[in-house]
Amino acid sequence: MTIDIGNMSRRDLLKSASVAALVAGAGSLAIPRRGAAQDANTVRVLSVEDPFFFSMKALVPEYEKETGIKVELESLSYDALQSRLVSAFVAKTSDADVIVVDQMWLGQYLDNGWIIPLNDFIAKDNEFDLSDFIPEVLYSSNIWRGQVGTLPVAAYAQGVMYRKDVFDELGIAAPPTETSEDWTWTKYVDTLKSMEGKSFGGKPLFPTVVCGSQPSPIVHMFTQVSASHGANWFKSFPAAPWDFSPQLTSPAWIKSVEVYRQLYKLSPPEAINYVWFDAGTRFAKGDIGMFYWWTPYFYLIKNSGYMTGKKSDVMEKYATAALPKAEGVPQTVSLGGWSLGIPSSSERQEAGYAFIKWATSKATQKKMALWPDLNYQFSDFARVSLYQDEEVKAIYPYLDVQYAMMKQGNGKVTRPPVPGYTAIESVLGLTLNQLLTGSEEPKTGLERANSLFESILKGNLMIPYQKDSYADTLDGAKALIAKK
Amino acid sequence: MHTTTVRSPRAFGPTRKSFIRRNLPYFLIAPSVVMLLALIAYPLLFALRSSFYFWNLQIGPEPLQFVGFENYVQAFNAFDFRAALTNTLILSMLGTTLEFTFGLAIALILLKALPGMNVVRALLILPTTIAPIVVGFLFRYLYDPGGGLLSWLLQSLWLPVPAEGILGSPSTALAAILLVDIWQWTPFFAIVLYASLLAVPDEILEAARLDRASAWTILMRIKLPLIKRTAIIIVMLRFMQIFNTFDTVLVLTRGGPGTSTRTLGYSLYEQGLVNFNIGLVSAMTWITVLIVNVIVALYVFFAFRNEEW
Repeated sequence: MTIDIGNMSRRDLLKSASVAALVAGAGSLAIPRRGAAQDANTVRVLSVEDPFFFSMKALVPEYEKETGIKVELESLSYDALQSRLVSAFVAKTSDADVIVVDQMWLGQYLDNGWIIPLNDFIAKDNEFDLSDFIPEVLYSSNIWRGQVGTLPVAAYAQGVMYRKDVFDELGIAAPPTETSEDWTWTKYVDTLKSMEGKSFGGKPLFPTVVCGSQPSPIVHMFTQVSASHGANWFKSFPAAPWDFSPQLTSPAWIKSVEVYRQLYKLSPPEAINYVWFDAGTRFAKGDIGMFYWWTPYFYLIKNSGYMTGKKSDVMEKYATAALPKAEGVPQTVSLGGWSLGIPSSSERQEAGYAFIKWATSKATQKKMALWPDLNYQFSDFARVSLYQDEEVKAIYPYLDVQYAMMKQGNGKVTRPPVPGYTAIESVLGLTLNQLLTGSEEPKTGLERANSLFESILKGNLMIPYQKDSYADTLDGAKALIAKK
Repeated sequence: MHTTTVRSPRAFGPTRKSFIRRNLPYFLIAPSVVMLLALIAYPLLFALRSSFYFWNLQIGPEPLQFVGFENYVQAFNAFDFRAALTNTLILSMLGTTLEFTFGLAIALILLKALPGMNVVRALLILPTTIAPIVVGFLFRYLYDPGGGLLSWLLQSLWLPVPAEGILGSPSTALAAILLVDIWQWTPFFAIVLYASLLAVPDEILEAARLDRASAWTILMRIKLPLIKRTAIIIVMLRFMQIFNTFDTVLVLTRGGPGTSTRTLGYSLYEQGLVNFNIGLVSAMTWITVLIVNVIVALYVFFAFRNEEW
């Protein structure tokens, strides 16, 4: 079943606006709206304020000078961005020509026709080299039903960061930089336990730190453990035919919760409320032995706070390593990050594509990496060539580890980009947050979450699935890339 | 013979004039009524209709099917909604009671002509002028277990602070949210009650003092009855405001740990602006509206039982 928003009547628009206003009033959150007519020589870009935004913003004047096009760049927080985008798309009043899209939103945005596929632009563009992108990244974040919906401006994997000086002093073997059968989550937890109760530099040391805040932060971190253990959200996805019957009661999920609870017990107790950068900046404070997190933290921990530019205590004292895997299960690394897309409502789609092409190009991405402010704060490349660039590698010495993680990535498995994702993420995030406190057995909590998943998915007409399935594989994505 | 019929101005003038004069109040109030209907009644009725449909903006822009009371059943069956309802009622009842009590105490102190009261009055209004989201961030730092002022203060006084922090423990997190609200809104009660107390005639108070009435008796028998109407109204307003608590929860705890600080305002935000489940959030909105109105109606009934309202 395809839902066409192009036939929405004026009356229905008013209805939607009224509901949005009611919801906003109930939630005390106003959705900003810009009413001014757009200048023909202007491209409006709506972004999230993740690290890539700052270096991209620094280069925008250069783009404006080269092209004569004015860029209106606006940034929002994570939650506010999706609220603004969905509200605008439903009312067909999107005020942007380029939007930043999170990996999990892709299916919903393309299925609803909110963004346009970029295939035609790419096909017509002889200069565009799709093959330089890492196939696993394009597959995870940008390709949906055989269409390129967006292009990656900041690609994230997950990896391990540890304190070299702590490991040396305590006589702990450094974790490996390559995936191996010996580097398992069991070994990871054992390594952390060898730091339990120890002090370093006269201060108590916490072996690790996790994200505990619901819903998105804890799900983002936990799903790396669950993906490593081979846990699937659904009976069949992305393989066809799609069957969204939830699978949260499988042994892999229960085992993953047990591992995550162990990690929490070895973390500062207040981590139950930690969001993304709380965990990262906690490591930067210097009392954490080792943790794993999104690869932007490979560089963010050089700063004492999020994007402060002030050097942290661990600036010269940490190293990166490969993610552990589960025994006997092929490793799957969580891939995510931010991509750029063009709203179907934009009247300047050509100009939007030109901006996307510039922002995701090798030249611009390299300049973003070489932007020296904030202690060099960008190495989230989706392009293979930048992982081999010696000038960039000199600044970001961990790129080999990061690239190896990218090559093992699969974002469609770790956090499936299906319509309605945020609703089930809310349930999972709340359940995981509750399970961290240890007041309930993982099996009981997951059974309840599974039941709620089923109810939500049935309510959202996902069980039984009523649209056409699509055999979504990495090989299919590689074939699509090879066509260009 | 040429005749000219001249209609007396009285033939239609007084009639038109009297029509306008007779209906002047309706004409004057009409724009407001239209605005109210457009801005309150229509969205509420539309939300009522939406609450009987499955409508998720992530799946499609239109309501997909009529589901009867399914959204209401789903709301009540969701354990987080029940927890949110309980937390909201606790916050609203306790918050309003404590803020009124503390506010009244401060107002009575303000009446004393102590040195520096002018400065105190000016400073008192400051917390209410700060946006709740900013207050949330401020208290996030104050509650920080790694050196936050409030955590340090409690530890210095040998009071137990949970290992996971004041905001990290289900036993203290809701109280921490309540404290934020009390800090921000007690001054509102203090200022309004102070203004009301200033209007209490001096001669009545003087007469009571001559009759050797105690300060407690004067407060309970004279001052409170004379400011009763103002007190009832501001208690009602604050109750309704606290019922919508959202900003501080978002910044401080996101409803956690578990469901310990989830409020109805936060649940509405999550279902409406994160999950975009318009059908469900409409049902939740109506449940909230009904609960608030029932409580307020009972409150008004009992509070104004012997008063003109």
